[in-house]
Amino acid sequence: MSVQIVVKNFTAAFGDRVILRDVSFKIEEHRFTVIVGENGTGKTTLIKALIQEVIGQKHPGHENKKQKGTIEVNSKSLAYVPQFRDLGDDYPLTIRSFIALGLKSGLRPWLNTHEKSAIDQALKQVDLADLADLRLSDASGGQKQRAYIAQALVQEPDLLILDEPTAALDANHALALVKSVRALQQSRQIGVLWISHDTSWVKEYADGYLWLHDGQIQGGQAADLPDAAASQHRQEVNHV
Amino acid sequence: MFDQVFMQNAFIAGTVISIVAGIVGTFVVARSYNFLSHSLSEIAFAGAAFGFFIGWPPLLGMVIFTILAALSIGGLENAKVRQDNVTSAVSAFAIALGILFLALGHTANSAATGILFGSVLGISHTDLLILAGMALGVFIVIFLFYKPLRLLAFDEAGLLLSRGKKTWLKILFLVVMALSVAISSQLVGSLLIFVLVTLPAASARYYQGSVGRLMTLSVFFALFGTWTGLVLAYVTNLPTSAFIAGIEVLIYLLSIWLAKE
Repeated sequence: MSVQIVVKNFTAAFGDRVILRDVSFKIEEHRFTVIVGENGTGKTTLIKALIQEVIGQKHPGHENKKQKGTIEVNSKSLAYVPQFRDLGDDYPLTIRSFIALGLKSGLRPWLNTHEKSAIDQALKQVDLADLADLRLSDASGGQKQRAYIAQALVQEPDLLILDEPTAALDANHALALVKSVRALQQSRQIGVLWISHDTSWVKEYADGYLWLHDGQIQGGQAADLPDAAASQHRQEVNHV
Repeated sequence: MFDQVFMQNAFIAGTVISIVAGIVGTFVVARSYNFLSHSLSEIAFAGAAFGFFIGWPPLLGMVIFTILAALSIGGLENAKVRQDNVTSAVSAFAIALGILFLALGHTANSAATGILFGSVLGISHTDLLILAGMALGVFIVIFLFYKPLRLLAFDEAGLLLSRGKKTWLKILFLVVMALSVAISSQLVGSLLIFVLVTLPAASARYYQGSVGRLMTLSVFFALFGTWTGLVLAYVTNLPTSAFIAGIEVLIYLLSIWLAKE
């Protein structure tokens, strides 16, 4: 199995505050990896650095932000589902049209047969086929999250990065989303990086974990997720 | 009515302007740049006044001023300033410049009224050619950058581009917007820019759920208001822009009312 992500001696700092200090890890391809850690431990900084590497951004962040080290990401098509999407209450597009926004390549403004079937397939895979013509603004929190994921899926990614997609969902909907992304990851044979505060499902549904704490990254098989990582998050979630 | 050359010119200009405004307006409303479009139209006013002052065609002055403003606003996008505050400062400065240039150029009041409220019935054949050329430029840019512009307007979070490319795309969008504002000012004047650039697109949002259909309906609303407005202006000998504004506002209010039913 070849390697999808290699990070060597990576350091990230905001001004004088070091978030990640000299961290190194590897992730093999076709893996479902969960990134856990308290707020401010550098989870989003880490995935943004990976994304910047893929989109070819040479100068990271603003002046205060310093990054060192090497990052290699073996991905021809990366899709990212951000944590926040400010679309407004009167967002006019239907779920189908919103998903179509993900089709970014080529000049042609209309959809061809292949693209239409890619949208239909993505709709089915996230269980939104019956709601394709519903306005996204009228959809529930869980349906919106699934639409965001479907928009990422039509890009046919080999690496899918999700930043706390279940943050706004109740436990049942969160678990349903985890199961469907796990099924997709296995059927499409893609890599998934999933930032999560909720660790209750990690051992059962993920392949591996990266635990960010005290400037360090500890990685391993999901089944071996340390209790320390899990329990801290429960506390944090309880306090919210 | 159509045997008169000025009415033929007005209808051709009105049609071209409505198509540009309907298409670009869909992006402007999606990106919530309504007030920025109004500021650009005030800058267009200053540009036209500058044109009169130094003896250039007012449309040329408008294009130069609005594009310069679009580039400056694009440059300020990443600065730590509140955009609405910058917009108010720029608007105030633009109107002040406009008044100054009108006074310095001893421009006739009728010319000033033409810039502020539109003067499509007086549009010349040459103006028409310039207008068509600018509209063609807008269409080409939108066709070439349709997908990234669509994503920028409807889901910026999904736009995975490096910071540099994103800034360029935003500037490109602002330039397209600036051109559309300058084009639309010819019909409804810089004070009534909302009438064509934002109201038809805002009304369309109550009926349609895809980007293509939003654009089509927005163009239809703009065309309906423009054509009806031109006919009514011809029959009554009253200002065209007043009728177009009235019709577009009615369509918008009706759309809100129907959506609540």
